[in-house]
Amino acid sequence: MAKIRISAYTDKISVKAGDTLSVMASAEGTDSVHAALVRLIHGDEHPDGPGFIEEKVASPVERDWPVRKQYVQKGNFLRVADPKGQLAVAGAVTLHAYIFPTMPNDGRQAILGRWSVDGTRGCALGIGASGRLEFWVGDGTAADSVTAEVPLIARVWYFVAASFDPATRTATIYQEPVINRYNSLLSKIVPYDYRSHVSQVLRVRPAHGPDTPFLIGGASDHNPSRGGFVSALYSGKIDRCGVQAAVLDRAALDAIRNGVRPPEAGFLAYWDTTEGYTDRGIGDEVRDTGPHALHAVGINRPVRCQTGWNWAGRNDCFRLAPKEFGGIEFHNDALTDCHWQPTLTLDIPADLKSGVYAVKLTAGDGQSAAEEYTTFFVRAATPRAPICLLMPTASYLAYANFQGAFDGAFLQSITAVTPVFAEVDIEVYKNDVEFGLSTYDTHNDGSGVCHSSYHRPLFNMRPKYRFTGVGGVWQFPADLSIVAWLEHMKYDYEILTDEDLHRDGVAALKPYSMVLNATHCEYYSEPMMDATEDYLAGGGRLLYLSGNGYYWVVGFRPDEPWVMEVRKLEAGSRAWQARAGEHYLASTGERSGLWRHRNRAPQKLVGTGFSSEGMDGSVPYRRMPDGYHRSVSWIFAGVEGEVFGDFGLAGGGAAGIEIDRYDLAQGTPPHARILASSEPFTDNYPLVQEDIMFMTPGLGGTQHPWVRADMTYFTTPEHGAVFSASSIAWGSALPCHKFDNSVSRIMKNVVDAFLKPGLLPGSEFDAK
Amino acid sequence: MSAFIQSNKAAAEGPSLIGRRRLLPRLRSHGGALWRRWRYPFTRRTPLLIETAYNPKTLAAEKEIVDKRPLYWIAGLLVLLVVPPVFGDNSFLSAATVFAIYAAINIVWMLMIGTAGIFSLATLAVVGAAAYTVSYISIHTGLPWWGMIAVSPLVGLLFGVLIAIPAIRLEGFYYALLTVGIADLCREFVLQTQALGAASYGLYGADTYVPKGISERGGLLLSFYAAFVVMLAALALYRMVNGQRLGLLLRTAPEGQEAFAAALGINYRAARIQVFLISSAALGAIGGFYATYFKGASPALFTMDSLLLLLAMIVIGGIGTAEGAVVGTLIVVLFDRVFIGLGPVRLIIIAMIMFGTVLFLRRGLFGIAPQFRAWRDKRRSERRALRTGEGDDIMPEDATQIADKQAIYTQRFDKQLREELKKLVTDELIAEHRRTDGGRRSDALERILTFFRRAEVAGKYAILAEKPFAAYRIVALSGKRGMPPRLVDDQVFATQEEAQHGVFLKRIRDLLDS
Repeated sequence: MAKIRISAYTDKISVKAGDTLSVMASAEGTDSVHAALVRLIHGDEHPDGPGFIEEKVASPVERDWPVRKQYVQKGNFLRVADPKGQLAVAGAVTLHAYIFPTMPNDGRQAILGRWSVDGTRGCALGIGASGRLEFWVGDGTAADSVTAEVPLIARVWYFVAASFDPATRTATIYQEPVINRYNSLLSKIVPYDYRSHVSQVLRVRPAHGPDTPFLIGGASDHNPSRGGFVSALYSGKIDRCGVQAAVLDRAALDAIRNGVRPPEAGFLAYWDTTEGYTDRGIGDEVRDTGPHALHAVGINRPVRCQTGWNWAGRNDCFRLAPKEFGGIEFHNDALTDCHWQPTLTLDIPADLKSGVYAVKLTAGDGQSAAEEYTTFFVRAATPRAPICLLMPTASYLAYANFQGAFDGAFLQSITAVTPVFAEVDIEVYKNDVEFGLSTYDTHNDGSGVCHSSYHRPLFNMRPKYRFTGVGGVWQFPADLSIVAWLEHMKYDYEILTDEDLHRDGVAALKPYSMVLNATHCEYYSEPMMDATEDYLAGGGRLLYLSGNGYYWVVGFRPDEPWVMEVRKLEAGSRAWQARAGEHYLASTGERSGLWRHRNRAPQKLVGTGFSSEGMDGSVPYRRMPDGYHRSVSWIFAGVEGEVFGDFGLAGGGAAGIEIDRYDLAQGTPPHARILASSEPFTDNYPLVQEDIMFMTPGLGGTQHPWVRADMTYFTTPEHGAVFSASSIAWGSALPCHKFDNSVSRIMKNVVDAFLKPGLLPGSEFDAK
Repeated sequence: MSAFIQSNKAAAEGPSLIGRRRLLPRLRSHGGALWRRWRYPFTRRTPLLIETAYNPKTLAAEKEIVDKRPLYWIAGLLVLLVVPPVFGDNSFLSAATVFAIYAAINIVWMLMIGTAGIFSLATLAVVGAAAYTVSYISIHTGLPWWGMIAVSPLVGLLFGVLIAIPAIRLEGFYYALLTVGIADLCREFVLQTQALGAASYGLYGADTYVPKGISERGGLLLSFYAAFVVMLAALALYRMVNGQRLGLLLRTAPEGQEAFAAALGINYRAARIQVFLISSAALGAIGGFYATYFKGASPALFTMDSLLLLLAMIVIGGIGTAEGAVVGTLIVVLFDRVFIGLGPVRLIIIAMIMFGTVLFLRRGLFGIAPQFRAWRDKRRSERRALRTGEGDDIMPEDATQIADKQAIYTQRFDKQLREELKKLVTDELIAEHRRTDGGRRSDALERILTFFRRAEVAGKYAILAEKPFAAYRIVALSGKRGMPPRLVDDQVFATQEEAQHGVFLKRIRDLLDS
């Protein structure tokens, strides 16, 4: 029997009663799947915990559904809307573009043109198998080409063009470097002669297929089972480019190379990639400023706001000098939307309790059984519960489909454990990393991944998934331990997601007496930060149960909340680093990087901020002298001894994985108390990079006092308060000993106190 | 420290300097100038396969003629065309004519043996059959010389069909034997058939392209040029068949890999037979030309000694190339016809050249260059292996191949670090690793683990959870995106912690083995 594989995603990540949710599934080895709606209670299957817990919820989706294999179009390219076929030039033609190739030796790549790979039809400018610029011409039966003399050098700006004269069938290639002091990897001191001008009489004239699209960064292709798709995907940047229905001579091309607008004779199209910038960034449309306004639209979110061929280095942001930021970056493995057809839809019933849900898809039995959980969150249409559990979906996106355990040489040094793979990891990896990458990965050309989307199967946002790098649960499945705790303690809670927080702001939090963060709320947009700050300033109460939270600046475009953008800058615990001049989010126009470097360190919100990480083991906390003060000692009611939390499903302790510390210099509220701090960590917990000014030995957990987790507490205006556990491992300690443990008791003390409006316990002990 | 001293000592005795001076002039790229690339009419071929690339030593864009053979061919053919008429006496000229005809035969034969892979030894038999047939027709019907040449390919084709049939069933040695038999049968037949000149040892009196009344020198010159044209035609045929579709098809199906080609959907049998028939027709045409040159045909065409001489030519030149066929023929004809003054010794010389070729060269004379390069590379890698065994360092000649020079340092650094770390490995340390999972470890153990963890991805160990919390296996990463990890062995661990320790043990073993 054939191996069955099911992969699926939902169109929305957060829904409420009355919404309709679509599930997009693709399956191999079966033509039908059984669906069921389940409520997820606990994920981690660690034998020391309660194990996997789900509850089936009766639903009309519970039946068999037909499925088929759905394909994924990966890669960035621009599709030009040309309904009248004005770019199907039959006569003389010139194609021109500025390019910054990043993988010129990665086989055929189309730069721009109307080229059909399967039909060998049309013409296009591209990079050939030899890494040289090529101009391809095809008439539907035969193809011919002219190739530049010298290979292209990676990460250097060129102006390239090709013209074709049908009268003589002469094709001419034009290749000139446009390197300045800032724009390229190499400077002018390198003695390469980048130039090439070659002309050749071709054997065929271009014949354009009626349906071939004009593409920038790819070429149209077709195969019988898949249908039409785009191949010959380009990797690198493209700046302004155009089409001229004339043979442009050397002088005319030299002028365009110097930034002059193309001449009027035969002017067909000129995509000015710098058009359309606003203070708030730019979208996927690339405008044609030529006579026919044949605008192009980017697929899979080509990276915009990148430095262009004429970047002069003085301005580090497109907002200051938009004309210098014409670079659009293409990656042949980018993926922000699978665009699958819905397999089933689910109307969210009015009586469905807020919670964590999945449409569980199953097929086959015995050895060939396969299952897939398409996870989503149901919020309350009208909030009623006092407790809100905020699911950090932005951070889920950041880690979605992480491949670093396969690819990253750094990984084992960070985690200090050998990675553990599950079957699904290997399946996805060997299928050419079919569902795209996380923001911790690099594209095939080595550039960092700055976009992540939930419109694709997120195989690691699944309840039982164990994270390869650490060999344990991470994020979503770990957060279910907090869900299970709330369920076990029979608290009345509702779910919100980062998406709701980003969209609705403080209004989303306002109805709740308290908000619980999950285990790792690392990625925050400005509206999310603002909402949290306003909530706390207005009397809100927060349990910060994360480590390394409120760390990265991210952006979402209002029209596409499923795609998150982040740029990793010169500091922070970062898997990659954006190139100079490319530090601002195209989605919002904001500077990305760490919130700390925009003067909003996490300490300002929750008292603690990232101090270290390590995955070799977690440790207990030791109560600090301040923890005995009567204003806060109620938090420890029922907890015996000074040391607590020496258990946990994540590393055997409640403090660990990623940890945060109190730091007045970063804006910890001056009245914050350190209730407890972690016991010392191993040297596999080194001090965070942003705290290191000079490189010195002794930055590991056994030697540096800053490597620690601080449990802090402070009050905010209007009877608000923040309790910070400051450790990712905290959540995974909750279910130990059947939820009857010191960590659980502390949580209960805080939650119970936060449930009561007005004065907080211990507030009477405020004498100086 | 001792590791440093050792490697310094090795460096002092040291690798000799490497780096070659360029002997040939370097051609620069066209740079900013327009390069108009010319093609042969009706083809995509440019006159020379030129590739411009950046010299990694200087980054200069240098133009290189990738395949210089066209230049050698033109020079060689010019010499062959000019030397005999200008410098040769009459006997030399007629020897040159014979050379050209034999060369043509050998080139076509090369198509059969080299391209089609059919070991037919009936080559001369096809030539002879065509020569006899057209001579007979000419003598009896007065067919003019051009008619003889026109008819001869048909005869060759017919004869080719006849001897191709057994090739379907017989292969290699058995087929070769059969074709020898056929040639001998032909000889016996013409020797015993009165109508084919059994009495006069040959059938003579056919028409010739040499006009009557031309001077002896003039006739010889004309014959030489005509034979030269035949040789050029044979070369053109070789290029067309071997270099185009048929040749490409057959190159995918070399001996022993036919099944693979067939699996790809290549009908290699049909292609082989096609090439064989084309070659037979061409041999027939050469036979026709032979008859018009000698005004008839002789049973010598079918004899074993002619066949062996032909074989000598092919073997000396090397099977599989047209240049081999031409130069092999040249050498044998030189000894056989030009140095005739040497007497019978010359035959021994030919035999010795042949022996030498067979014994010492893998692919004849034209295999010398690649064979030499292979030998040189082998010697180099042997020397390298010897030195690597001593020092485990990257050799200067290897360094030139590494684009990122940092890798050279890293390798040297890691080697010294490994030596240092090896000394820390004790049974107690291994026991400590097992005991301290998740906890604080000794500095020695952390040092070793830190080194293990930062290893490059390719070949790095990882764990596969076959059944979470029940069965774990050790795998090795590929370091290549999309290529899954491979299972390292058949050990199964019950817990993740045991698997972690299993990986540690493997890494310790690799460290100690290094």
